[in-house]
Amino acid sequence: MLVILEAKDVEKTYSLGKVLVSALRGITLEVEQGEFVAIFGPSGSGKSTLLHVLGGLDRPDKGSVYIDGINLSTLNDAKLAEVRLHKIGFVFQFFNLLPRLTALRNVELPLTLADMSEKESIQKATDMLELVGLKDRMNHRPTELSGGEQQRVAIARALINDPKIVLADEPTGNLDTTTGWEIVRLMKRLNEEKGQTFVVVTHDQSVAETANRMIYLKDGVIQGVKKISGSVLS
Amino acid sequence: MRRKQILAMAWANMKQRRLRTSLTTLGVVIGITAVIALASLGEGFRVTVKQRMEQGFELDSLTVIPGSLFAGLSRQRFTDENVRNISQISGVEVATQVMQIGNVTLHKGDNEVRAFVATAVNFTEFVQVFPDRFVFETINGSPDQWKNNTIVIGYKVNHPNETETPFATAGDNVTMTFMESLYVRETQNFTVAGTLQKRGTPGLTNFDYWVFIPLDTAREIYGPPYESDLIFVKVLNPNDSDAIAKDIEALFPPYRISILAPMTFIRQVDYILNLIQLFLTSIASISLLVAGIGIMNITTVSVMERTREIGIMKAIGAKNTTILTMFLAETALIGLLGGLIGVPTGYGLSYLLSYIVSRFTMGQQQGTVFQTPETQQHATITPIFSPTWAVGAMLFGIIICVLFGLYPARKAAKLDPVKALRYE
Repeated sequence: MLVILEAKDVEKTYSLGKVLVSALRGITLEVEQGEFVAIFGPSGSGKSTLLHVLGGLDRPDKGSVYIDGINLSTLNDAKLAEVRLHKIGFVFQFFNLLPRLTALRNVELPLTLADMSEKESIQKATDMLELVGLKDRMNHRPTELSGGEQQRVAIARALINDPKIVLADEPTGNLDTTTGWEIVRLMKRLNEEKGQTFVVVTHDQSVAETANRMIYLKDGVIQGVKKISGSVLS
Repeated sequence: MRRKQILAMAWANMKQRRLRTSLTTLGVVIGITAVIALASLGEGFRVTVKQRMEQGFELDSLTVIPGSLFAGLSRQRFTDENVRNISQISGVEVATQVMQIGNVTLHKGDNEVRAFVATAVNFTEFVQVFPDRFVFETINGSPDQWKNNTIVIGYKVNHPNETETPFATAGDNVTMTFMESLYVRETQNFTVAGTLQKRGTPGLTNFDYWVFIPLDTAREIYGPPYESDLIFVKVLNPNDSDAIAKDIEALFPPYRISILAPMTFIRQVDYILNLIQLFLTSIASISLLVAGIGIMNITTVSVMERTREIGIMKAIGAKNTTILTMFLAETALIGLLGGLIGVPTGYGLSYLLSYIVSRFTMGQQQGTVFQTPETQQHATITPIFSPTWAVGAMLFGIIICVLFGLYPARKAAKLDPVKALRYE
């Protein structure tokens, strides 16, 4: 299988005031195309930091990250932004939609950044909202949408530029259990139907167990990897 | 990112913070209003002054007088040879000499009028130099026929106290008494060759108060040496007057003569007025700088408030330059808006100021020492709308806004995406 994402000996240290925190201590992993990978661990294990480094939002102190064969550490800020725009989709715990834009405009935003014509981008964003089941809510602003709906918009936005990989940081963390599962099901469906690659960070073991592969992270070190054959959901 | 979308987002942001945007824009409006008001008023003032001066002076004439302010006024006078030499300078159409006689009294029957300036001139040349001012109310023959003992009478001399009936008309005989100090020097009979129309002018000479006799007559009366007090020079092209003045100066020893060249004078005054206008406008533009600081302040606050938004934009792939452009688009829009409101407001204000100034000076000017009938009409300055200034002020406003927005916008662009996303 084709490797989409590769991390080699990634280290990252934070300074919280005068204290140095080693968030990542030599992480090496690979994600293949079409995989649904869960990074699972307690809070403070370095999951989010790892996701940021994998997604080119943050730069590692040591080691390197490859996305679609591109070594991120060789890129300047502008090139890195382009990689985020075209190859990566982000989904966050707090949805992170722009409050002044409608659902449609939020989903369209990455296409706008990619200089697509308005006519084309509106059509594409509408189709994407239909795919996540929000076509009838597309002209609402985030404040007029429920948490689950907002997260669907966020997923649509993450998928709009046909990224190689979607990185989700606690996507169910701010939702009630039922809604959380709806989001997980949506992601699984997109993974199975469209072959979309997902890496989901979660501290919820039941969510993690829906993945093809579960990476257990603790204190910035990978403690173990578990292959799951046959998803819990299906 | 699509330009239209950047502008649309900037506009949406501005609309959402309506009060803040309005107040910031108001600062820019005040700045641009001040610049435009002072600029159009200044331009109007400059043009009014220039026009008045151009009306007052014959631009194609130079006046050569003996002596110099700095070397003392010389008692020396001009000879016929001096006049001939000046006429031969290229670009000179005609040079004519004027002999000043002093004040005279004219008698006709029981009537008597006084002229404070009596001059002896060559009528043919004089008409050539001052075709616009030497215009006749009544005339007997033509200037080249006028020989001995003819006289031309200025309007104010002929109409003392603005009387309806003139003292004399062409063809009349009058007696003229020449005064020397307070004593009568000579009395002679003259035939009135012409009377002049009213041509009152705020220029250097006002022929309304003059009488003119032929040079030959004056020379007969006064005898040699045959010298004159002034030379009027008419040039072919007013723009050459500077160069011709230099050529004339070169004919005489240093400080022997002075030349009054209206064109040079007007150019100097125009230059000074331009400087004044520039100075006033620079003072006005200080208010635009203050508005710029307001923009900087509000953009800094805006960047802080929208830190998380900036983080989101970066996470989904916005480049630093996109973030920078987003914030600068807002400040530029504020500048543009300020200009669109400020330019017409400023122009309106200049009219208001001009109205107030003209009302004010109208009351003030009455009864001043220098009041003559010609200056009685009150001064009005019509503001002049200059598209160059309008466009310039708008561009200046936008540039100020963008420049002052640059620092906070750069800070926004350089935010670390992870920290920005965590910002509460």
